[in-house]
Amino acid sequence: MRYGFVIDHRRCIGCHACTVACKEENQVPLGAFRTWVKYVEKGAFPHTRRYFSVLRCNHCDNAPCVAICPTVALYRRPDGIVDFDGARCIGCKSCMQGCPYDALYIDPNTNTAAKCHYCAHRLEVGLEPACVIVCPERAIIAGDLDAPASPIARLVAREQVEMRKPEQGTRPKVFYVGADSSALTPSLQAPAPAYLWGQRSEGEVDLVRMAAAVQALEPAGDGALSRPVYDAPHAPRPWGWKVSAYLWTKSISAGALMMAALDRVMQLARGDALFDTAAAMVALIFLALTMGLLVWDLKRPDRFHFVLLKPQWRSWLVRGAFILLAYGVVAVLWLLLPAAHHRLLVVPALVLAAGAAGYSAFLFGQAEGRDFWQSPLLLPHLIVAALIGGAASLVLVGTLTGASDTAVLSMAGFLAVALILHGGLLFAELGVTHANTDVARAARLITRGAYRTRFWGVSVVVGVLLAFVAIVLVPGGMVIGALLALAGLWVYEDVWVRAGQSVPLS
Amino acid sequence: MTPPVPEPLHPVARELSEPDGGLAAYPPAARWDDWEEYDPVAWPRKVKRRYSLIPTICFNCEAACGLLAYVDQTTLKIQKFEGNPVHPGSRGRNCAKGPATLNQVQDAERILYPLRRTGARGAGQWQRVTWDEVLDDIAGRIRKALVEGRQKEVMYHLGRPGHELVYLQRVFHAWGIDGHNSHTNVCSASARAGYAFWHGMDRPSPDHANARFILLLSSHLETGHYFNPHAQRIIEAKMRGAKVAVIDSRLSNTASMADYWLSPWPGTEAAILLAMARVLVRERLYDRAFVEKWVNWDEYLREERPDLPVTFDAFHTALEELYDQYTPEFAERESGVAAATIVEVARAIGAAGGALATHIWRNTAAGNLGGWQVARALEWLVVLMGAVSTPGGTAPSAWNKTIPAPPMMPPPGKVWSELLMPKEYPLAFFEMSFLLPHFLREGRGKLAMYFTRVYNPVWTNPDGMSWIEMLTDEAKVERHACLTPVWSETAWFADYVLPMGHASERHDLMSQETHAARWIGFRQPVLRVALEKRGKTFDLTWQAHEAAGLGQVWEEDEFWIELSWRIDPDGALGIRKYFESPYRAGEKLRIEELYRWMFEHSVPGLPEAARAEGLTPLAYMRKYGAFLVEDNVYRTHEQPEANGVVVDGVARRGFPTPSRKLEFFSKTLKDWKWPEQAVPGYIRSHVHWSQLDRARGEMVLLPTFRLPTLIHTRSGNAKWLYEISHSNPLWLHPEDADRLGIGTGDLLKVATAIGFFVDKAWVTESIRPGVVACSHHLGRWRLTETAGGERWSTALVDLTREGASSWRMRQVHGVRPFASDDPDSERIWWEEAGVHQNLTFPVQPDPISGQHCWHQKVTVTRAGADDRYGDIVVDTEKSFEVYRQWLALTRPAPGPGGLRRPLWLPRAFKPDASAYRLD
Repeated sequence: MRYGFVIDHRRCIGCHACTVACKEENQVPLGAFRTWVKYVEKGAFPHTRRYFSVLRCNHCDNAPCVAICPTVALYRRPDGIVDFDGARCIGCKSCMQGCPYDALYIDPNTNTAAKCHYCAHRLEVGLEPACVIVCPERAIIAGDLDAPASPIARLVAREQVEMRKPEQGTRPKVFYVGADSSALTPSLQAPAPAYLWGQRSEGEVDLVRMAAAVQALEPAGDGALSRPVYDAPHAPRPWGWKVSAYLWTKSISAGALMMAALDRVMQLARGDALFDTAAAMVALIFLALTMGLLVWDLKRPDRFHFVLLKPQWRSWLVRGAFILLAYGVVAVLWLLLPAAHHRLLVVPALVLAAGAAGYSAFLFGQAEGRDFWQSPLLLPHLIVAALIGGAASLVLVGTLTGASDTAVLSMAGFLAVALILHGGLLFAELGVTHANTDVARAARLITRGAYRTRFWGVSVVVGVLLAFVAIVLVPGGMVIGALLALAGLWVYEDVWVRAGQSVPLS
Repeated sequence: MTPPVPEPLHPVARELSEPDGGLAAYPPAARWDDWEEYDPVAWPRKVKRRYSLIPTICFNCEAACGLLAYVDQTTLKIQKFEGNPVHPGSRGRNCAKGPATLNQVQDAERILYPLRRTGARGAGQWQRVTWDEVLDDIAGRIRKALVEGRQKEVMYHLGRPGHELVYLQRVFHAWGIDGHNSHTNVCSASARAGYAFWHGMDRPSPDHANARFILLLSSHLETGHYFNPHAQRIIEAKMRGAKVAVIDSRLSNTASMADYWLSPWPGTEAAILLAMARVLVRERLYDRAFVEKWVNWDEYLREERPDLPVTFDAFHTALEELYDQYTPEFAERESGVAAATIVEVARAIGAAGGALATHIWRNTAAGNLGGWQVARALEWLVVLMGAVSTPGGTAPSAWNKTIPAPPMMPPPGKVWSELLMPKEYPLAFFEMSFLLPHFLREGRGKLAMYFTRVYNPVWTNPDGMSWIEMLTDEAKVERHACLTPVWSETAWFADYVLPMGHASERHDLMSQETHAARWIGFRQPVLRVALEKRGKTFDLTWQAHEAAGLGQVWEEDEFWIELSWRIDPDGALGIRKYFESPYRAGEKLRIEELYRWMFEHSVPGLPEAARAEGLTPLAYMRKYGAFLVEDNVYRTHEQPEANGVVVDGVARRGFPTPSRKLEFFSKTLKDWKWPEQAVPGYIRSHVHWSQLDRARGEMVLLPTFRLPTLIHTRSGNAKWLYEISHSNPLWLHPEDADRLGIGTGDLLKVATAIGFFVDKAWVTESIRPGVVACSHHLGRWRLTETAGGERWSTALVDLTREGASSWRMRQVHGVRPFASDDPDSERIWWEEAGVHQNLTFPVQPDPISGQHCWHQKVTVTRAGADDRYGDIVVDTEKSFEVYRQWLALTRPAPGPGGLRRPLWLPRAFKPDASAYRLD
């Protein structure tokens, strides 16, 4: 049994009855939509046409929101419906990043995620969803796709159907008949700062301006794009500076112990307190900051423990939390055990530090909605970021605490090497051909768009070039070099997190 | 099938069992009294909620679609409104405005108690009063006016009729007044005139579902009478292969769904339609037999072509000559629509035969001088194709509706109000409502008691500043009571603001010509019905509302009974007897008795249907809320009728025109001084393109389009609708935008004959170059921060009178979040409320139909440094001048027989024939 929808755009008149009936049935607050109607226009007078598309959760068979959800607040039922349970949701917003369709929002009444759930509560008493029964045109068809005789299965079999973003591999169960492809595909739409009878929210307008600026750089003419003339508002960029900061503090935390373990392996400054105690303290302090930022970013911080107590093991948010915990245990042991025993901790420290630094690559990888974050270079980049964070922080701590020159110099050496790797990865990430239009647009936002000053100025020139020059060529420039490297890393993490969320999903 | 990846199951999901059989759209009617379903917010926890499902009728647009209210049995709150599956017109389905009824009922801003002003009128000071005080004061004033022979000084002015016409006709005829004023002349007067001159009935009723070709000069896939019922049937036809053509200068959603979009210069539509008629005639594609039988062609030949023999062949020849100039090429020059397209559509119409469904209601008819000839030209195509009242054709309205007779209908009064139907407009459809401020200014009368009801002339009508001047002049309007569920711009200038019920808070009987059938729908106060099901009893509906926590919201039916009773407490004026119970002699009529009587006596088939279910007719209607009186109503004109018109040797019903036939030739128009308009023709509009100097920025403004989500000024209390649509930018073509050097979002100044407004530009390929368009659904305002307007939808404005006649309005701020019982009010994320363009329009009454011709010749320029979004400047002296210019176009009564108006012509609440004499 697999419930799905067919939206028949040969019949849909764009009246928004489904939108409002859904709000009424499910008591959806202002600013949020579980289903909505987008309008796009194409053509030049008098050969103009307006196309409607009814957009909502696709009840994916392979639902990224379910995979990324850390607490089983989102789940796929045996009948194919992707339902949610607000009572389990911690408000981490990762489902909003996982969904390629803009289907989720945070309900301001409960601060938990919500979306179309196929009116599962109505289904329970044998009734069709509210949007289906209100539709004047019977353009929304609900039913069991697996029952060959059902009206929906017959439509899907007989008519040419389309899906939104089938390339995402999510296996959507909302099928479109007679829709215009460009109405379903945001990358085929021109940026629109206003709509024919409504405003766009302020946050959206900022994003649109940014997107418009980089779209203007693209070779394709405007004629190829449809013009959106109405859409519902969507919360722009669910993750903000706290998530960028979490990446940054985590790089420092993971890198610090990583440096200490590497030092032990490579025997560079053996016995220096910088590696025996200070590094572990840096790791623990920044680990605490990392955890604090993660909890602070939750819409329901009171429920942070659900991650540990109601874990959904496929979620890298859960796996990451346990990796961070284990890493913390190793760091504590490093601090508590005499230096002589540190050799026992070298392997666990290296593995868990790499894990703590790198697991985010898999978490961002589960954010299937954000193509820009799906880069295979992300994992090495996070490891390199940890090298920078660890080495730079230990250069600073070492200088402050009067560590040996060997120790500080060795860290400066690591930092210089890491900066070269970082520079190379930046080039590989942003400068080469991109997987698709959305990735290219996000990259272009960084290199040529709204973030170009921050990126080129701070991340590249200050954070890599000047930092490298200061460390390698300027006598006594290690401290300033380390500071510049950390600043550059912070700005890069922030730009990367923001740019990844700046390309519209729907 | 198993999902591709094993996934974690929520504990609740594991308990799921698959439902037996398919899913249903609605709970079975047998269980409506006690229906259980799960709380949507608590889900997936299974929290049961029990409801009484009580049908009622939507009160937003005029379609009268069915609603089903879910009344929570524990809290007595309405949880939601769904469609009523047994309603024959809407069939269980609704547009966005149906479910949004919940916002209107739960609106934290609504008025719950009667208010009386304490300061100057319009100054905004109010105090709560009792209904007794209100009723006694108003009844006293009306009684005094009636006793003193001032019947013309009592006027009731309404926007949306509830119980159609009969209920209030009964009230006002009982009072002996000619006091019913409507919104019709700012709405549909020209379409009505065009149809009525053809067949005596003033509306079309297309049978879209069975059409082969649908020609719309309307936007029925998104708005209008009757949006949802018609949209259902238009798409049904389209899915079966019918072709749809839409003539509209603007790309409406409807035009976008059509097979043909014809975007003409505004006001040239009749030229296109007559060119199509010419194709049908010259290519002999028309239904000769039908035209020969049912059109008064012989009268035309006798009156206009005495040179020809009275034969149909001669008529055909006369037609070819008459319309010879309307070549497709001529139509293209006039309209800008390609001649080839016009011919293609005409031939498609010819191929559709009698299955030609057409509609015009407002659109170009309401926009242009002579717009009534557009409706007439459109109906001419229907007549030519013999598609009148056929399956898939277009019937006159009255045959597809039913108006049950109430007990005891009083005779009409012998009074004629010149304020409603002045002699300058003997053919108007109907009351010259929007000229009232000018009539009073000219000293044509005064009003002792003026009611406005779900009517907002200050905002809706053209020239609203003149309305403000009128309403604030207590010598002209001595007492003004506004019957409304919500604040409005007009209510602000009332003496009483009287809260009346929304869709689920009142009784009304509805019947609309939604398709080839006749049905009635029953609007009910669902909280009262729910409470009465639980054994409570109430004398009046407001008492049930108060018991359910809804303040003292009245229903109007009871208001009129109560008022009439107090006007004539002892029966001396002969009024009281019409408000006595038909079941309890001498006692005051209870509202359920009125409906009980009508359901028992005036609805054919209902008593039998009720008996079959073991119910009384009233109980049947309370349960189902609708009844199908007759389905598949076709060819009503052919029905045999004694004293009818003889066709094929049989006396038949025919049409309610002087000839009893379809009047291609209107002797009435000829006799009433318009001989040149006696046949379907083309009148060049007051905004015809030849009048424009485009190089100087002159353009045509189309200020009359609705949005699918809103309904005039009645939906300002619906947060879900305003969230979707809250601005009305000025549509203009990129060519014009380039000429002005502007883009979307830039400010434009739009100057009319009496002032200007400032709005943002919306640059679009969906409008003809040279034309600008602006929806009339936005631009609401209020004068104080916390009262006078719905904060969901109004901007706070400063309104200043800068001279005797000069007014300026400036927005202080737009829509803002506010604190209320509804947490959503703090979540308002939009700021714009739109721009109130109607204030800047002078009145432009069509000299024949009386329709306000909405389209404006405007000068569009870039806004200046001092101009701000939403600015309005108006000079009412200039608007009075424009009024006088248009008044000079009229050819006043008397007509033949010294009459004020042809006796046969429809008129709402027709007075006694003796009142028609202009002596």
